[in-house]
Amino acid sequence: MSFLSVRDVVTAYGKIEALKGVSLEVAEGAITCLLGPNGAGKTTLMMTIAGILKPRRGSIRFAGGEIAGRAPHAIVARGVALVPENRLVFAAMSVLENLQAGAYQRRDRNAVGGDIERMFARFPRLKERAAQQAGTLSGGEQQMLAVARALMSRPQLLLMDEPSLGLAPLVVEEIFRIVAELHRDGATIFLVEQNAHMALKVAQHFYLMEQGKVTFSGDPGSLAEDEVIQRAYLGSAKS
Amino acid sequence: MLVDFIQNTLDGLSAGAAYALLALGFTLIFGVLRRANLSFGPAIMFGCYAATWTHVNFGAGLLLLALITVGGAVLAGAYVERLCFAPHRGGSAIAAMVASFALWMQFEELATLVMPRHLYAFPLLVEGDPLALGPFTLRVDALVTLAVALIACMLLAWTLYRTRFGLAVRALIEQPSAAALAGINVPWVFVRVFALASAIGGVAGYLVVATHGQITPMLGMWATLKGLLAMMLGGLGSLPGAVIGGLALGLLEAHSQWYLGPQMRDLIAYLLLFVLLAARVPWMTTRSAS
Repeated sequence: MSFLSVRDVVTAYGKIEALKGVSLEVAEGAITCLLGPNGAGKTTLMMTIAGILKPRRGSIRFAGGEIAGRAPHAIVARGVALVPENRLVFAAMSVLENLQAGAYQRRDRNAVGGDIERMFARFPRLKERAAQQAGTLSGGEQQMLAVARALMSRPQLLLMDEPSLGLAPLVVEEIFRIVAELHRDGATIFLVEQNAHMALKVAQHFYLMEQGKVTFSGDPGSLAEDEVIQRAYLGSAKS
Repeated sequence: MLVDFIQNTLDGLSAGAAYALLALGFTLIFGVLRRANLSFGPAIMFGCYAATWTHVNFGAGLLLLALITVGGAVLAGAYVERLCFAPHRGGSAIAAMVASFALWMQFEELATLVMPRHLYAFPLLVEGDPLALGPFTLRVDALVTLAVALIACMLLAWTLYRTRFGLAVRALIEQPSAAALAGINVPWVFVRVFALASAIGGVAGYLVVATHGQITPMLGMWATLKGLLAMMLGGLGSLPGAVIGGLALGLLEAHSQWYLGPQMRDLIAYLLLFVLLAARVPWMTTRSAS
């Protein structure tokens, strides 16, 4: 049984359908990647799964329960956390407060302190800047903070929307190293990426999305990389 | 000359303290819900009228009247929140604002229906003569207003920076989407912010009415205008700005009245607002999320 199951989800902005019936599955313990050109609807899908957007039709099942259309905080309570596109850190709050915000729903306050220490161990640069305002961090550090903030809710499914966006190549490598590390430690990750090359290196399964629909599903070896990259950036010729 | 200036500054500060509280309440709602609540003043008026009604029919002490004012404002604020803001949460900001305008009318009508006289006496905060300190006159109720406003600001700061609720409020002001994604129960925070803002407004309303010793149905509009004006002078959506705007407004009014006459007092504030808006001064625009 798959961990996250999206079936025929339609999400629209007014009259414009951004998702025209999307179906995909995310397996437990794996890294699943969603590729596709700009405007394909990848972020809309992530926001729909996380509850920020409500689908018009379709079903989203996670760990046996229906989460489509539920409030975002209820979905976090079910164990799904999204690292949003553009990180959206709380710039005026300190790094530590950002992490505390991520743990907002946790009732076990003592364990939260331990988790913060673990985040600092995993992301040493965040520890150095613990009292600093998040807005003063570099792009790569803000990305790490956004990931750490999402991890603070101890999610069973981590959604990541374009973690490499706007970052220098060396920093991108570091981010993907962290993604691989999280996977090794047992996390289930559903990752949206424009950087197809890096994404295919870590993913066990990937989907291609174009113009609001899933157009390809397979493992990283099943399609020639240059065709994947072409369709990820430009879309396929026939669409 | 200097004595007058300092005297006016003192008077202006105490009026400004009440304005600062009004602006804080307005800003909390505007910063968190990103909506202007035109029933903010009227809800305060409801609380003050509830206290007046109690006093007229039963007689009551100052503390009880203060509690009724604040409680009434919170109750009225909850009514406004449920009717005007909750239904339009994901939708039109204009619809919410127009609905709050309609409730403003409702509150005014209710006040004149239940308490038909244009003016009612309200028990004074402090009886007796003002204090004389050298060449200066210090009204005791002005000092009380300043002290209460200061305590209210400190309590608000403590709430915002030392409690879990405050963390949620600050997160929502900055990044509403990310706050929801962090697991914050946004609708529930909205309800509590409304209650907090209404309570702060209720305190301001009580201080003003108890200082002047009277209440009229114009209180609703008066409080809304002062609160809006002070909020805009200090920078939309900024809490420290609300305090600065409120104090600045009080000082501006006190000095304008002295040097230019009472007619200019209100005009100057609106003139300044117009100039600042027309010149598109940066701090006047909304602190928007990136």
